[in-house]
Amino acid sequence: MASNTLYILLCSGEHEKIQMAAMMASVAAVSERPVEVFVSMNAINAFAKGAPADKRYYGGAYSKLLKEKKAPDAMMLFQQGRELGDLKLWACSMALDVQGWELDKLEDGLFDDALGLTKFLSDAENGQFVTL
Amino acid sequence: MTREKIDARGAFCPGPLMELIAKLKLVNVGDEIEILSSDKGSANDIPEWVKKVHHEMVGISQQDGYWSIVVRKAK
Repeated sequence: MASNTLYILLCSGEHEKIQMAAMMASVAAVSERPVEVFVSMNAINAFAKGAPADKRYYGGAYSKLLKEKKAPDAMMLFQQGRELGDLKLWACSMALDVQGWELDKLEDGLFDDALGLTKFLSDAENGQFVTL
Repeated sequence: MTREKIDARGAFCPGPLMELIAKLKLVNVGDEIEILSSDKGSANDIPEWVKKVHHEMVGISQQDGYWSIVVRKAK
């Protein structure tokens, strides 16, 4: 595993943290840096298939401003990062289990697969790790 | 050599950068893309990105309320 890989653990469902994760992941990926994002806890809800924008993004004082100014949609940024760079997204298998969800409950084409935390941590041992 | 134009005025970071990169994938080496951005962050970030991934900056100029940034695809 390349040592410059950026690993992002996204667990907050707050809009501004999801936005920051999407910005970091997409910009790093298009800047020739491999990125892996592990989505767990409340953050997984933002990735539910077909969720309306007001349900998908909420919380945090910045959310209102991000919506008013029409900041780039976080799901679209993740998608662009995947298309234009080396970006992988993993859905935490525990978070899926506690919701009783399978991968097909999440937005199509965003996730590589479900993954356990043990494997993600092991892969991330030599990279840079960010938690949001 | 051709020059294409993207009007990304009104889009916030990293929207203009993403639009530029998507377009760069579609043009030939040596072609230029002019991107218009009203976002100051992008006006700083796009030249940084160009340097990082080894494309070429042709120029950047501040217009009335926006920036014009011209990039040449180098690889």
